Order: sequence, then structure tokens, then C-alpha cells
Amino acid sequence: MADRSVVIIGLPESGKTTFLAALWHLITDRTLPTVLSFRDLLSGDVAHLNAITARWRDARVQERTAVGGNKLVSMNLKDASGEPVRITFPDVAGEAYRRMWEDRSCDQDVSDILRSGGVLLFIHADTIRPPQWTVDEIALSKKLGLSVPPGGEVPWHPRLAPTQVQIVGLLQLMRQAPLDVGPRKLAVMLSAWDKVSAEGMQPAAFVKAKMPLLSQYLRQNADSWDSRVYGLSAQGGDYDDTKEGAKPNAEAQTLRELDQPSKRIRLVEKRIVTQDLTEPLAWLMDASASGN
Amino acid sequence: MTDEAKVTCGNRECRVSENGKCVEGLELSACPHFGKELEVDPATSDSETTPGLLLPSADMLSSADAADLVRSRIARVTAIVGPKGSGKTSLIASLYDLFQEGAVAGVEFARSETLHAFELACHDARSASRRGVPEMERTGFGEAKFYHIDISGAFAGPGLALLLADRAGEEYRTATDDAGGVTQFPEVSRADTLTVLVDGQRLSDTGARHNLRSEVIMILQALKDGGSLREGRRLLVVLTKMDIIAGLTDRPRAEADFASLLATIREHFADQFASIESCTVCASPKSDVLSRGTGLAAMLKHWARAPALPQTAKVTVAPSARAFSRFVARQSSERANG
Repeated sequence: MADRSVVIIGLPESGKTTFLAALWHLITDRTLPTVLSFRDLLSGDVAHLNAITARWRDARVQERTAVGGNKLVSMNLKDASGEPVRITFPDVAGEAYRRMWEDRSCDQDVSDILRSGGVLLFIHADTIRPPQWTVDEIALSKKLGLSVPPGGEVPWHPRLAPTQVQIVGLLQLMRQAPLDVGPRKLAVMLSAWDKVSAEGMQPAAFVKAKMPLLSQYLRQNADSWDSRVYGLSAQGGDYDDTKEGAKPNAEAQTLRELDQPSKRIRLVEKRIVTQDLTEPLAWLMDASASGN
Repeated sequence: MTDEAKVTCGNRECRVSENGKCVEGLELSACPHFGKELEVDPATSDSETTPGLLLPSADMLSSADAADLVRSRIARVTAIVGPKGSGKTSLIASLYDLFQEGAVAGVEFARSETLHAFELACHDARSASRRGVPEMERTGFGEAKFYHIDISGAFAGPGLALLLADRAGEEYRTATDDAGGVTQFPEVSRADTLTVLVDGQRLSDTGARHNLRSEVIMILQALKDGGSLREGRRLLVVLTKMDIIAGLTDRPRAEADFASLLATIREHFADQFASIESCTVCASPKSDVLSRGTGLAAMLKHWARAPALPQTAKVTVAPSARAFSRFVARQSSERANG
């Protein structure tokens, strides 16, 4: 059986765990056709997958992946030709990636994980923080007849960098020692796509419009990424908060009422819409396939 | 003896018992690990905790790092010189910030090894700083350091590393007090383009303008006498803070003063440079008179130009099978052809 690895990276709360949960449901449910399909549970590390997938089916918000609680999960699958393939994914806390950008360090085990396979990069499409300038804010306030609220000056911290800068910084680190393993495939996953799809843009156009620096970086490709951009809606809507006393979410209830939870899933690449979350994995693992 | 309860957290990386803070940034009451015994991960319980790996810095490059980078690819080095407060950091930060919004005159961002340095330089003009008026961090004293950005497309061609040397303006001014003329600035000697900034705010002040003009001339003289000016370099004289000049009732007077300064520079230093050119910029306006970044694309075009080194006899190098040799030969050929 072929052993393959896929690296999953992204800043905190970018949808990494939700993707894994939706993927495991889709594969084990076996009601929709997928490029990679379920084979067996043998030798798989599925306890963590089962736990996160149960929360996903219940439309409950995932717990944040604990810092230091890095988990490797494996799935025994079959590829399109029926050949067995075992895929290993890391479920690493987003804080580990944040630490890479901010503190310029990472744990040895995270480093080992990052040095294997193609890369799935998650970006929460609805919480992208763009750069904003004081002079523009003042001009806008004047136009609206508002006074600029006074506030204590905030010292610089890497966390204040716009989302696109942090993402470019992470990708650059993946192509520098000690994490560099040569040119790799990169699937950019814009999670919470249902929240932004009303803007009517294709995923690649969305990156160009909302994260121009990242778009330029990928287009000029000084780091030789073979990349694709996907819009991903793995939840389908807002889920119930798991905090005690939190009110149930009407959208979560609607999602629970769907007879097939798989129907919550939407994956968009260019103009193609599918529910097959294994498609980007199959592309990442296919050594012969090229990008766009 | 105190009977204080022991603070515990299930997350082995959390130091809440030492600093009172949740490593995940949560309120202690909201953290699912707070107050629990240390959680044991079966996958790692048998192995010893490994130390963290250091990853490459994203701060400014030292001269040695900059030299390594220049040797590895086609690069342009620019030394930015000007009296204190003339807008050096502003200029560098604003150019980087233009790429945040898209291509600059068809030139695109490709990568940068100094993202933290750029972000720090930009911070005080960004809303996140919560400053009422955009300000820029002043350059600290010491050895010149370098910002780096790789650019591609349009006049930057298939790929160009841009290295922007930054040193405290006060150090260049102090060189004018050095009667021995021994102060050297390696970043100026190495620069393909020496960029001298003329502070538009001081030029618009009828009293300060005379000292400003004198300081600029004297800095150039000190660079010449100290041996920092090398043959064949370009000089770009940049009038900064155009938003202030544009808002003046006496704008023509300020512009005439700049033209007069430029003429004086040409008169005294024409033999030191392959070319002396000028441009005007508004890097980080304090009002909306001019757009942020006005004039920076033209300045970038100057910086991206091939070096204007003196013509030397061409040496024919036999083609080499080694990639690095081929690369160096290509770079040398480009430089020789100007």
C-alpha cells in the first residue's frame, strides 16, 4: 500500500479541523462518489477523526486544537484505480503556525510534519484582515462627519500584520531551510466560502481582489509552488456554540435537518462545483498532474 | 505557611502557573485545559521534549547577508540618504505598502526576506497603531541595514532583487563635521543608485529651507571627500512630502528652491555620477491633498535600472556546465552592457 502525506497549514481558526471532519464524514458515509474512497479502518488512527466528525455531524463548533496536542491522523483509502493508499494528515494547532510567523521558530515534530507531501493551506475567507492606513481612516471619518476616536498607541507586533502578509511569510518559510524540501504542490483552501460567495467571484479572482500581495506572490512564483485555489464550504453555515448556556443557532438546526450531512459541503475550483473533498488531495498526491 | 491552591493546566506548553496567561490566549474560565492535570499524549509520552527549531529571521539584512543575496541573483542596491526626518522610513514603507494593494506600474511583488522589518516600518502609518496622525519609526543608529524585496514584471524584467540600505540620517549629517573626511559608508559605495532625499516640509519653511539646502550639499561633499562615491553610480534626488508643498499658497517658490538645489548639485557633483535625475513623491501624506504613494512608481523605475558602470573591455568566458557559473556570467554580462 502506498503511504502518502499531505501537510495542512493555516493560522488559528482557518478551518483546518472542520475540513478533516467533513472529509472523514464524506469518506465513511460513502453515499457520494469521490476520487479517493473508503477502504478499511485497519491500522488507521481514527479515534480523533471520529470525535471531530461527530461534532461536525451535530453541527457543533469544533474545539480549538490544543497547542502542543499535535495529532497525526491516517485514513486507509483507495484511489481512482482501486489501488490502496494510506494518507496521513497532521492536525496541528494554528498557534504553531502563528508562532512560526511571529517568533520564527517551531517544534521539531511540527518541522518533521511540514517536510512531507503537498500542502493544503487554509485561509478563512470571511475574516481576512486587510491592511488599513491611518490617513484613509481619517479621510473617511471626515467624509462621514465623524471624529477619529482617541486611543492609546499600540506598539508593533507581528500579529498585527495583514492576513496576506502572514500567509506569504508562512509560505516563504516552507521554501527556506530547515523546512524546504524543494518545489511542492499547494492547494489554497478558502474556507467559509458560503459567507463570501455572494460577491460573485471565482476563488482565484477572490484572492486577487482581497489578498493582492498573496496573489502576486503566487503568480510571480519565485518559490516555485504548483498551486490551485479552491473555495471551500465544509460547514455549510454557522454551527452551535459549545459553551454552556449558548443558544442554539437556527442555521445549525437547518443543517441538521438535511437528510445527508454531506450536502452541507461545497468545493469550488474555477467554475466547477463539487462535494468531493478528496479531489484536491488526489491532485496534491498525483506527481504527474500539473497546476493550472 | 500559605494554603494557596496550585495553578495547573492540562496543556504541557502552557505556563499559566508562572505568568498567569493562557498559552492559547483564552480567558482562564474559557480554557478547556485550565485547572486540569497535565494531559499525556500517548504519541509523545515516550519521547523526550525536543527543543524548538529556529527559522529564518524576517528582520533587516546585515551587510554580509545583503552581499550574499546580491551574489546569488540579479540585484539593485539603493542607498537612501538624507538629513534626519527627511522621510527615509516613510519612503521605504510606503513602497512596500503599495504592493499590498496590487502591482506598481505593472511590477509585482515576488517575495521578501524582510517582511517583519517592512511591517514594523509601516506600523505607525497603519490604523492598527491607533495613532491619530501617520508617523514613521525613525531609523536607529549603527551599521546600515537592508530591506529586501524581489520584484518581477514590466521594467523589473523576469526578476530583480531590490536592496534598500537604511542608516540613521544623523550619521550622514555628522559626516559633514568630519574635517578629516575619513567617514565611509560602504552601502553608498556599493549602491547602484544613491538616493538623496530633500525634505519637502523643511523646503516649504522659509526659514528652514536654507539650512536644508546646505545640509544636502554638505552631505554629498562629505560622501565625496570620504571616498564613498564611486564612479559610474547614478544619483537620484527625491523631493519628499509633496502633500505639504501641494497645499502651499507659495508652492512655486518651494518648487523653484528645489530646482535651484538640483542645479547646484549638478554644478558641483556632475563628474561624480553617471547621471543626476530627480523625482517628487508623497509617500505617507498627513492629509488627503495627494494620494498615498504618489510618485513612488517613477522612483521605483529609477531604482530598477541596470547599473551604469563604466565600460570595460569585454572578457569572453567559455560556457560552463555549472549552473552557478552560468548565473554569474549572465549577471556580469548584464552589468557590462548597462
